[in-house]
Amino acid sequence: MKKAPHDENCVLEVHDVTMKFNKYAVGVDSLKELIVRAFKGDLKREKHVCLKHISFQINRGEAVAVIGRNGVGKSTLLKIVSGILKPTSGWARVYGRISPLLKLGAGFDGNATGMENIYLNAAIMGYTKKEIDEKLPEIIEFSELGDFIYSPVKTYSSGMLARLGFSIAISMEAEIMLIDEILAVGDVAFQKKCFEKLRQLRAKGLTFLIVSHGSAIKTLCDRGIWIERGRVMGDGPVAEIYDRYTKEMMKK
Amino acid sequence: MQKEKRLHRWGQQAYLMRLLVRRNIKNQYYRSFIGVLWTVLNPLLNMLVMAFVFSSIFGRGEGMTLDYSIYLLSGNIIFSIMRTSTSGSLTCLVQQQDMLQKTKVPIGLFPTANVLSSLVTFGFSFIALLLVMVIRAAAGAYVFHWQIVLVVVLLPAVTLFSLGLSYFLSALYVFFRDLKHIYSVVLTLWTYLTPLFYTVETLKNDLAEKVMVFNPMYHYVTYFRDLLSGTIPGGTEHLIVYGFGLASFLIGYLFMSAVRNGIAAKL
Repeated sequence: MKKAPHDENCVLEVHDVTMKFNKYAVGVDSLKELIVRAFKGDLKREKHVCLKHISFQINRGEAVAVIGRNGVGKSTLLKIVSGILKPTSGWARVYGRISPLLKLGAGFDGNATGMENIYLNAAIMGYTKKEIDEKLPEIIEFSELGDFIYSPVKTYSSGMLARLGFSIAISMEAEIMLIDEILAVGDVAFQKKCFEKLRQLRAKGLTFLIVSHGSAIKTLCDRGIWIERGRVMGDGPVAEIYDRYTKEMMKK
Repeated sequence: MQKEKRLHRWGQQAYLMRLLVRRNIKNQYYRSFIGVLWTVLNPLLNMLVMAFVFSSIFGRGEGMTLDYSIYLLSGNIIFSIMRTSTSGSLTCLVQQQDMLQKTKVPIGLFPTANVLSSLVTFGFSFIALLLVMVIRAAAGAYVFHWQIVLVVVLLPAVTLFSLGLSYFLSALYVFFRDLKHIYSVVLTLWTYLTPLFYTVETLKNDLAEKVMVFNPMYHYVTYFRDLLSGTIPGGTEHLIVYGFGLASFLIGYLFMSAVRNGIAAKL
């Protein structure tokens, strides 16, 4: 990988990223189907270009919303940004740690207690025991779960699951928070608390990358990146970009 | 600085591994109120049932150098290392997909944790085996041999073999979800094709004896039983046992590395 010239302010850099997938024209996801189709000679591979020459930079303390229709490659972009997926060409670089906010209750082990899940999830995110121990009181307090933290997670309601997940991600305070469509969680009071916390973290200088359709991004973010058909259609103040995006969607 | 960072990362991954292994073992015996005792009782009870059913058919068969109950149990617990690690690993990446979509973590850790927890289970089953051996020795049906400690030579080979297979299967399952059904059939077949409750000699079939050589589990099981009956397997047997282990490990590891990006895209 090339060593990029590093601008002090920049925490996240995406440079000319193109992602192509080699996939079967008809989605093959079972061995049986693969064999049957191979015999029939019905296996056409086609190149599917998901992202085309995407470039942007995010500076420290910015809150950026990535908007776009379903299936335009937002999730793929997030995977590339977090370093899970290698792009076909171009590169993405992150200067700092990423803390992902997962979908409701995702990644929890139902049989384990809330406490055990905190440790397991944070360890998968790359935190050491010491770091988790330090943050533990804050996580438990923020989640408002009380003694339920010692019960197996499968006894939790969906709201409680969301609280736990949110509390873990938000308390670890990585430099970059990656948020994927989860702001509609828990009851109104907890939602308010989450927004409050997110605002506090922003004031602390943390960087946000949010993927969402909701209008809530208008109050939380200051910059929007609109992706359509694999390209960046617009990049600028969030209100302006969001309005252009909704207008475009209404036309269809 | 670089070195310190790497050490820090290794420490962190070792910690994650420990958590994963602990979770696997807890889940395995979850809700059984006798808890970890069950890890010892489970193979014992299985062995009792099988001994009861099969001892009159195979118990005094040709080539039976060990007491039948010991023969049964020893074969089963070695086979179980492979069985539990691979069947657990098969779905482990897909089960973690919500996390793996969002976090950069070496995916090989998950199948490895499964293999390690099978080894822990083997430790408990080994206690069960020792118990049976003591009982049979008291009845005069078995004599202890010191060679049993050489099981530590065998275990790395079985571990390598299981690791490779686990890497391969967990990666393949991401692409082909029907593998679950296919593999459970394969596993059943494999159980019956390995001399766990019969001896190869009782088959009285030359072809079967020749084909058996290609079954890695046959070698692992036989190696272990040789130790229990006081013989040390020869040099070629060591080559075979480690050859299978290394080959499986390399194939599994290389396969997983080759499709890593595909897994990331597919999950």
